[in-house]
Amino acid sequence: MLYLNEQEHTTAKKKHQDMIKLHRVHKEYHPNITALCGIDLHVEPGEFVSIVGQSGTGKTTLAKLLIAEERPTRGRIVIGGWDITDIHASQIPFLRRQIGVVFQDFKLLRQKTVGENIAFALEVAGEPRQRIRDVVPQVVRVVGLHGKEDRYPNQISGGEQQRVVIARALVHRPKVLIADEPTGNLDAITAHEIVDLLRKINDFGTTVVLVTHDKDVVNRLKRRVVTLKNGCIHTDHKVGKYVLA
Amino acid sequence: MKLVRTIVRAFKFALQNFWRNIWLSIATILVFVLTLTMINLLIVVHVLTQTAVQQVEDRIDVSVYFKRGTSEPTILEAREYLLGLSQVRSAQYVSSEEAYTRFTQRHRNDSSIINALSTIESNPFGGSLVIQARAPEDFEFILEALNNPQFGDAIEQKDFEDHERIIARIRSVTDRVQWFALGVGAVFLVIAVLIVFNAIRIAIYTHREEIGIMKLVGASNSFIRLPFLLESLIFSLVSTLIMAAILLPALQVLDPQLSAFFGTASIGLTEYVFSNGFLVFGGQFIVLAALSVLSASVAMSRYLHV
Repeated sequence: MLYLNEQEHTTAKKKHQDMIKLHRVHKEYHPNITALCGIDLHVEPGEFVSIVGQSGTGKTTLAKLLIAEERPTRGRIVIGGWDITDIHASQIPFLRRQIGVVFQDFKLLRQKTVGENIAFALEVAGEPRQRIRDVVPQVVRVVGLHGKEDRYPNQISGGEQQRVVIARALVHRPKVLIADEPTGNLDAITAHEIVDLLRKINDFGTTVVLVTHDKDVVNRLKRRVVTLKNGCIHTDHKVGKYVLA
Repeated sequence: MKLVRTIVRAFKFALQNFWRNIWLSIATILVFVLTLTMINLLIVVHVLTQTAVQQVEDRIDVSVYFKRGTSEPTILEAREYLLGLSQVRSAQYVSSEEAYTRFTQRHRNDSSIINALSTIESNPFGGSLVIQARAPEDFEFILEALNNPQFGDAIEQKDFEDHERIIARIRSVTDRVQWFALGVGAVFLVIAVLIVFNAIRIAIYTHREEIGIMKLVGASNSFIRLPFLLESLIFSLVSTLIMAAILLPALQVLDPQLSAFFGTASIGLTEYVFSNGFLVFGGQFIVLAALSVLSASVAMSRYLHV
């Protein structure tokens, strides 16, 4: 690519460096219900960003936009250099294999064991059996569930269930991990364990976007904090704390 | 290779759907089997109609009795003339002696007839021709042809029963049976399509959590849809196999009885189904599968939002 001057080159380089880029993103459910109003957000590869704010400020909408579960009303969304603003439905599965997603309500299959739940993500993507056999034990070790592969979700604790979900999100080696209130159903100690695990995953190089309203969790992290208020970015601190907006 | 893997895994999920909703699967298969029963009944009725009509047509003949004293060459000349007509299938010559023998044989237990016959000193029977036509409607032409002046005067009597009416009656009854079976079959087919629609709708509902997770972890839309399409194919395949398992032994039992009824060596139903099994049951499977896949597709487009 040919650049006219140094400034443009730097800008272009920066554009490529952004793992997540939201440019004036609006989301309106009805003309009078605005979830997000002109969000501008850049997340670099390997960053750990906490998106915080009170209930109804648009945190979950933002997470849904990043996994293409929702479409922006206006604006552009780019993930890893891929403009997903108008992503075709047939392309969404390929996007989701590059973005790991963790939800508050676990979303585990009760009739499958821990190992089977993790393998499920690879099975449905058509991965070879041998690769599944190789990858699953690796991620099980990463999330600290070694020895519990054959247990069913109802035979393990809430924290362990969330670890299974994280493991499942990691099997595709995603560039980005989006965790939407992952500690919402957990006690304080288990919540800290889960956040430690997310930090460990981030240390491996995965960009982590943590959507939460858990003050303790955010303050313990000492990483970038973006605060939303009424669908807009209220504050964005490189090393921030949870501040009530 | 990836495609094969995807199909195998989708098939595994389809079998899971099948077992988890086993009662709905059984109900669907039951209606499919009833539909196929109606279709097969239609086929059997059609074959039996053809056999019955053929039987009647084979028995239709016209007997032409020649006057006493008509010479054998004249009758044989008439026979040759008739055989030359494309409408005539056969023309059997029965001599006056043979006619006498057949008559006495037929009435050997009726002493009054035998005694009456013995009072006549000479053979009262003349020669005759038993003519069979290729089609019942050909008899009118044959009877007209017998008025040929060469031997028309030698004919004493033409004995012809109006078999066309009998055939028309058989056809009328069997047509009604066929229309009835067709109507019932169509109703069952509509019910079957609706049941498949409902079965897939319920399968989507019971698997909504799994479908949501599949979408979340990057399963392609076609992979999410494939198990439901395969499930509808499983319904069709199992139903066709059950139908074959019922129909083949049933025909083996029925065939000898029907053959005895029609007085033929074999109706040929069993032989036909065995030799054309792939065509008969393959055709039924294809029709059933096409309808159920269509029904499943409509259900998915309405309830499976991928």
